[in-house]
Amino acid sequence: MDPTEIILLDGGMGTMLQAAGLPLGELPEVWNVMQPQTVSTIQRRYAEAGSKVLYTNTFGANRCKAAGCGYDVEELVTAGVRCARRAAEGFDGVRVALDIGPTGRLTEPLGDLSFEEAYDIFREIVTAGAAAGADLIVIETMSDLGEMRAAVLAAKENCDLPVWATMTFEASGRSFLGVTVGAMALTLTGLGVDALGFNCSLGPKELLPLVEELRRWTDLPLILKPNAGLPDPATGEYRITPAEFAAELAKAPEKGASILGGCCGTTPVFIRAAAKALSGVRPAARRDTVRGGVCGSTGAVELNGVRVIGERINPTGKKRFQQALREGDIDYIVARGVEQQDAGADILDVNVGLPGLDEPELMRRAVKALQGAVDLPLQIDSSDPRAIEAGLRAYNGKAVVNSVNGKKEVLDAILPLCKKYGSAVVGLCMDENGIPQDWRGRVAIAKRILDAALSYGIRKEDVLIDCLTLTVSAQQGQAAETLRALRAVKEELGLRTVLGVSNISFGLPARENITVSFLTQALYAGLDLPIVNPNQSAVMDAIAAFRVLSGEDKDSEDYIRRFANVTAEAAPAVKDGAELSLGEAILRGLTAETAALTEKALGKMDELTAVDRLLIPALDRVGERYEKGEIFLPQLMKAAGAASAGFEVIKTRIANRGGATVSKGKIILATVRGDIHDIGKNIVRVVLENYGYTVIDLGHDVPPQTVVETAVRENVKLIGLSALMTTTVTSMAETITALRKSGHDCKIMVGGAVLTEDYAAEIGADYYAKDAKQGADIAKKVLG
Amino acid sequence: MEARLDRIPRGETLRYLRYRGGELGGESLAELDRCETLLLQTARPRLVWRLFSLEADGTLAGTDYRPAGEDIRAFLSDCDSVVLLAATLGAEAEALIRRAAGRDMAEAVILDAAGSAAVERVCDIFCGDLAETLAPRFLTDRFSPGYGDMPLSDQRALFRVLDVSRRIGVTLSESALMIPQKSVTALIGVSDRPQPKRAGGCESCGMREDCAWRKEGKSCGSN
Repeated sequence: MDPTEIILLDGGMGTMLQAAGLPLGELPEVWNVMQPQTVSTIQRRYAEAGSKVLYTNTFGANRCKAAGCGYDVEELVTAGVRCARRAAEGFDGVRVALDIGPTGRLTEPLGDLSFEEAYDIFREIVTAGAAAGADLIVIETMSDLGEMRAAVLAAKENCDLPVWATMTFEASGRSFLGVTVGAMALTLTGLGVDALGFNCSLGPKELLPLVEELRRWTDLPLILKPNAGLPDPATGEYRITPAEFAAELAKAPEKGASILGGCCGTTPVFIRAAAKALSGVRPAARRDTVRGGVCGSTGAVELNGVRVIGERINPTGKKRFQQALREGDIDYIVARGVEQQDAGADILDVNVGLPGLDEPELMRRAVKALQGAVDLPLQIDSSDPRAIEAGLRAYNGKAVVNSVNGKKEVLDAILPLCKKYGSAVVGLCMDENGIPQDWRGRVAIAKRILDAALSYGIRKEDVLIDCLTLTVSAQQGQAAETLRALRAVKEELGLRTVLGVSNISFGLPARENITVSFLTQALYAGLDLPIVNPNQSAVMDAIAAFRVLSGEDKDSEDYIRRFANVTAEAAPAVKDGAELSLGEAILRGLTAETAALTEKALGKMDELTAVDRLLIPALDRVGERYEKGEIFLPQLMKAAGAASAGFEVIKTRIANRGGATVSKGKIILATVRGDIHDIGKNIVRVVLENYGYTVIDLGHDVPPQTVVETAVRENVKLIGLSALMTTTVTSMAETITALRKSGHDCKIMVGGAVLTEDYAAEIGADYYAKDAKQGADIAKKVLG
Repeated sequence: MEARLDRIPRGETLRYLRYRGGELGGESLAELDRCETLLLQTARPRLVWRLFSLEADGTLAGTDYRPAGEDIRAFLSDCDSVVLLAATLGAEAEALIRRAAGRDMAEAVILDAAGSAAVERVCDIFCGDLAETLAPRFLTDRFSPGYGDMPLSDQRALFRVLDVSRRIGVTLSESALMIPQKSVTALIGVSDRPQPKRAGGCESCGMREDCAWRKEGKSCGSN
């Protein structure tokens, strides 16, 4: 692609087909087969108007949208490419782009479309389009970065054609899904698309400011294919004239966009006007310094100052964490993520490696679950390339990989993954000979890692170096070497630096003093990304102070905000004079107090007694009050939240002692297939967990087979099913039938807005639970 | 007519929470305030609508869509046109509610209820605006896929005709449920005669036999 040339794209297709008689609501791609002449004629008019790239009429030719239209995806795509090829005949240098639009479904975690299924949907289109002779792939009108990623990977892994990618944004600077320009640019640039930009959404005038934002995040060619302004809501007609459109679009080259066209509402007349307005125009040279950064599924974190990497998702030395991993308790991991986000982490390190466990699968699940709960970028931390790839493939956004080192076989195994999935990478300053004791040795390894990364096509700004912290009580001289190496990597190699800080103080009393002091010195030496425990306020305070002193925190705004509420924060609520009982603390939903009082009670009794004599009776009283209508749902949930803080104290104590989990038995909960309403099931889960049951939560949209398999494998005697819609009660009935057919001995309870006692009996359930309290009563009856 | 959300009706939120008049202490009120504020800050309400005239057989002119079921035909019997509407609070509000569930279920249930109240409020404001715009003509209430005998699958046709996904970012799951969940689609009839209040009543509701509110002698259209 010649960056000094403007490439003119085509204009709207849907608009033109409707004008030619396509009824609103009918699948336009059917006309590729039924009326190919009409489709080709429209495209030919675009070529005559000056378009150098013709998009195929295949925007909706995917198996979701084309279901029931009478043709399969391959037929629609093949016919679509043929139409465009015919239209391009006789025009010099006119290329045919296979147009791929969204599936109309939303990817997980908000939606029900898995990455794998999305990938397969796009793979089908790409394969057919490439075979039919498309010259390039254009993925457009995406607002979900997860769906976009699946489409780009499907394109890059199944053909060799160039890939262009455009998304739909609103004037707010975000897509419908909340994706920022930065997140889009970092992810797509990382994945190695050939050009990127915006289409549809708004008119050219509204999109130009977004182009200016985009150029700050990427050095790739930029695409702009806007609508003809905004449509009149009552009639659906677009408002601006071809001349107005062309005049605005002609401003795009000076903003940095060089691949230009029109979307909804634009016609060959618009493109002709644009061709005229753009004739002789050359794109302005782009000399921006591109921002470096990483991102989650919507937001970007620019790496232009101190950014905190939270270290708490790591089983090393944490018995409770190890227990959670062994039990597959992903919620525990997610809670550690949420906690660190609340404490101010910018990026979360994710390490789920424990001998004997399936680390790739755990990594995949942890990444997905964490991305459903926090929007921070993740750092995939493993020494197993398979776990790294599993994490990267599942990850929506641009991640960091932790880590490679100077060993050639490690570099050759992991760097290609970073390149393919577009992640940044942490390089540790060590190799087969260990950690050099002299700072120069570490810098030399850093240089070797950088060179290797560059040779794999990884950008320099995506290489982060960890000069390694050694424990000062064991090797006192090494603290200074680390700092020296850090400064040299930063200044001489011009790379960003990462450092795990906490390790420095191991084995010394009052560790925090040493940790914070070392952290401050490291920051001064040029540390960008400290890996720390953000829950330690002294650590976060030191970073906040450093940002003020370095000038990063302009006018000390963040610092002032951080400490503004310190005095205003109310002391824990305790009853005047008299001490609060554990029961009252739970009833009032006081989390910290419940934990403290549980701790105290454990001085006088063992864990099981505390559960049976204190926690459960307190919950029973809360439940009674709820049944009588004295308290309502949020209060019940508050109490449940407080009680779980008490349970967590007990679980941690038992895990630290190496004892078995306290559990009154296992219960499966699932929202049945086709239903996405989670909240009722989640309420029941919280209450059941509080009563000491181990809940296996299969989530929503769960196929009957998954319920049966889990029930049999885990030998679960009580199954709870939830369905909110009349339509999904059918799949509840199917799930019950499947359970009965399997011969597995279990009781089934059901709940949901449309269910009744009679209805539950009719579909073969053993119990109907009208609310969470009844669910707990049933569990008591069945499991004790 | 832009999507607007000025406030979240507290009474509606409490109704969705099945509040039955127990003690509502200062902490609960503060929590409700906090959740409403959070939701108002996070929601990015959007809507898309379009006016169609009705052909004799009930098809929307210029489209291939004919709303299914007897109930909608009765509902529109006085009308010569219909407005299709889709409205949503947006994906950020959805994420807010979802994420709360992993952190604090008390907050999650309030946000969920307030979200339902909020999207209805967006629709109410829209209908007020629409009534003004189309005056002196009259509007029916809102009728949505899933009401009466109109199947949920009508959602797909409605989505295609209004191009809902592209215009406001709402998608359909495999089983035709809307995501973000805090979204509404509706048909609103336009007539020369005043229209009785109907869609909110229990008569047209497919859930009338099983409805928990009805069992308590109330309806979901009343407080």
